[in-house]
Amino acid sequence: MAPPKPISKILTANRLTNGETLFYAASGTWSAFVTEAKIVTTQEGVDELTKIGADAYAANQVIDVNVIDATADGDIKPKDIREIIRATGPTVRLDLNKSMSPAGK
Amino acid sequence: MYLYDNFDQTITQQRIGEFRDQVQRRLKGELTEEQFRPLRLMNGLYLQLHAYMLRVAVPYGTLSVVQLHKLADIATKYDRGYAHFTTRQNIQYNWIKLEQMPDLLAELGSVEMHGNQTSGNCIRNVTADQFSGVAGDEIDDPRVASEVIRQWSTFHPEFAWLPRKFKIAVTGAAHDRAAIQFHDIGLQIVRNEASEVGYRVFVGGGMGRTPVIATEVRAFLPKDELLSYLEAILRVYNRYGRRDNMYKARIKILVRELGAEEFIRQVEEEWQASDRALVNLPPAEEDRVRKFFADPPYEKIAVPVAAFEDARKNDKAFARWVATNVHTHKVPGYGAVTISLKPPGGIPGDATDKQMHAVADLAEKYSFSEVRVTHVQNLVLPYVKLADLHAVWQALGKIGFADANIGLVSDIIACPGLDYCALANARSIPIAQQISERFADLDRQHDIGPLQIKISGCINACGHHHAGHIGILGVDKAGVEFYQITLGGAADENAAIGTLIGAGFSGDDILGAVEKVIDTYLELRQSGETFIDAYRRVGAAPFKEKLYGRR
Amino acid sequence: MAVVDRNGPIADSWKRLADDAPVPQGGSVIVSLARLKSDDNALFAAAKNVGVEFAGDVNLEEVLAYLPRLSLIVARLTTMRDGRPFSIGRLLRERHGYKGDLRAAGPFIPDQVLFLLRVGFTTFEVDEGFSIDALKRAVAAFTAWYQRSATPATPTVIELRHPGNK
Repeated sequence: MAPPKPISKILTANRLTNGETLFYAASGTWSAFVTEAKIVTTQEGVDELTKIGADAYAANQVIDVNVIDATADGDIKPKDIREIIRATGPTVRLDLNKSMSPAGK
Repeated sequence: MYLYDNFDQTITQQRIGEFRDQVQRRLKGELTEEQFRPLRLMNGLYLQLHAYMLRVAVPYGTLSVVQLHKLADIATKYDRGYAHFTTRQNIQYNWIKLEQMPDLLAELGSVEMHGNQTSGNCIRNVTADQFSGVAGDEIDDPRVASEVIRQWSTFHPEFAWLPRKFKIAVTGAAHDRAAIQFHDIGLQIVRNEASEVGYRVFVGGGMGRTPVIATEVRAFLPKDELLSYLEAILRVYNRYGRRDNMYKARIKILVRELGAEEFIRQVEEEWQASDRALVNLPPAEEDRVRKFFADPPYEKIAVPVAAFEDARKNDKAFARWVATNVHTHKVPGYGAVTISLKPPGGIPGDATDKQMHAVADLAEKYSFSEVRVTHVQNLVLPYVKLADLHAVWQALGKIGFADANIGLVSDIIACPGLDYCALANARSIPIAQQISERFADLDRQHDIGPLQIKISGCINACGHHHAGHIGILGVDKAGVEFYQITLGGAADENAAIGTLIGAGFSGDDILGAVEKVIDTYLELRQSGETFIDAYRRVGAAPFKEKLYGRR
Repeated sequence: MAVVDRNGPIADSWKRLADDAPVPQGGSVIVSLARLKSDDNALFAAAKNVGVEFAGDVNLEEVLAYLPRLSLIVARLTTMRDGRPFSIGRLLRERHGYKGDLRAAGPFIPDQVLFLLRVGFTTFEVDEGFSIDALKRAVAAFTAWYQRSATPATPTVIELRHPGNK
């Protein structure tokens, strides 16, 4: 049997009022920057993020809630290209991209 | 073009009020997302990767100068200074805020525009030939039927909750510039043996994961019976179309599962049983609508026009642009100009607020204040005097819209793809950019000749890849973007679905593969033979061999 | 559960009758189409009023013979997006001349009621969360339309544009 895959996940959604891409942050609020995301490495952590996302959806704060794969070699970053594009912006309009972190990295 | 009367205006205003109320209830939590989502979709509002996206209807691709200026202003005020013209002749904004939607819609409403039924499982904005009313090969002006269909389908109480989306396209000419055989209903205006005008009716075409070329369900439908016949088709679909599986819910699947013969029988039976006179348009109303599409006040111009002929002789670049971008006009001394939104390395269909204002200004000065949108994501100035063409071309050059590439290898259809779209599996735009840059040399493009490349970033096929002479489909292969090539598709009256020719290519290799396909064509073409003609003669084999080697 | 019309809550004495339950004397009962087909004589003899309930997959041919004796038809939307009852409404009203109460049931929202009214529905079975306030605004949201309504017969925009052309 293969060993269980290591877990490394973050919670993301879009803000109801303006559609902005958000990440659930370690500080317990929603951040526009993926580097501030709370990363979990256990199934319990995934369950907790899933519940936080469902509650925020039910409270009409966010929509399109998903727990996604992330990597944390250095800064936290989504794993898949789709989510990297979501976190930053269209690759064809770099002038409109936002950075992954508030420091502008 | 059509202008709203008080009734049209009332309906549009009331819709804005309705949606303002719905947005407020959503923001207050009185509507859940599940309840609100179909309501916002039917107002054109999607959630994409980065923000909400608003699709604004451009009915049958016709815009006034006032409307285009307003669209540009909205890009400035509510978006990030640009917008995207789509394959359904609409326009999309990528960075919209839900809380600003009511005010945005009020601004659109002030110029007779809206996002109604540009999404959702309802009858979508009707599309038509972009050269309606100006093409010489037209039997009747499809804008008349299109406007009639627009009104009939707007907030139709019976057909607001169909199994799936429903798209109607109309062409008035035998040469199909509206891809009608890839629509849920395609209408071709024809004459019968008695020389009466009516419709050849196609049903069940579509792209998506199950591409289908439409079935002809009626060779001739008398013109006055249009609406009752459409209702019969829609009613059969609404009652019996599949609702258990969204991938099998389009009318093409119903036609396939019933069989064409049985589908036609059910439609005809429904039609015969209906009170057609109650639904069909009274001739007085058709006359009223038709008056809006009367010819503009053309001048009587003697041809040839010396200034135009001289410019063409003396300026090779201009002559080349005329050859590809100016369509023959039914009125002597005029041409219909296609404005290329496909500069080398550009984003197909994108225009900035400044470019939109500039095009509007040109239309006001040179084209009776009217602009059209094409399903190939370009714009058209439909009524330009040949004597003005050189000035128009120069002015377009100043805003980067003067590329002489209409119908050529760089005139690419591409969906927004993974750069914007929540459904996409792979990026489309960067592939289009690579191709248009690689083939930027106009000598090379003109040597290659007519060639349609169409790129979709997922199986939903918004980039029409099935109908591309060369189609490119982006797929996700274990988290990596891959691109499959199809060959031989066509969207015109000789509609065809492209054939997948083999394994996909990585994002790094797809450009080389496309170039190989084109080189193969150049090697094997006979004198005067276009890409699609050559493909139809030789089939996929030589292209496969070049791409994948001998098996 | 409550029953509303376009103006708000209304009194309602209809009772659903399970397929195996005995028919109460003199009551107003809603039965399934299967029960109606198997038991129509007993039903109409015992009950004061008979109604039938079905969803959008109904074969209307099976209902037609009963139409003159039915005082209620309940058409159920299986989801909010189930559009089939909208066609059934028009067919019952326009083609088959049904004159009784036509009631929608299911998870529709106030915003859908205006179109249901326009295709011939008259009453609506709704749950507790259904906002009467939103209903009142929704049914008044539009005063003009391009298509005929099954009932009431309000003029269309096309007719209003050509008043002499009837």
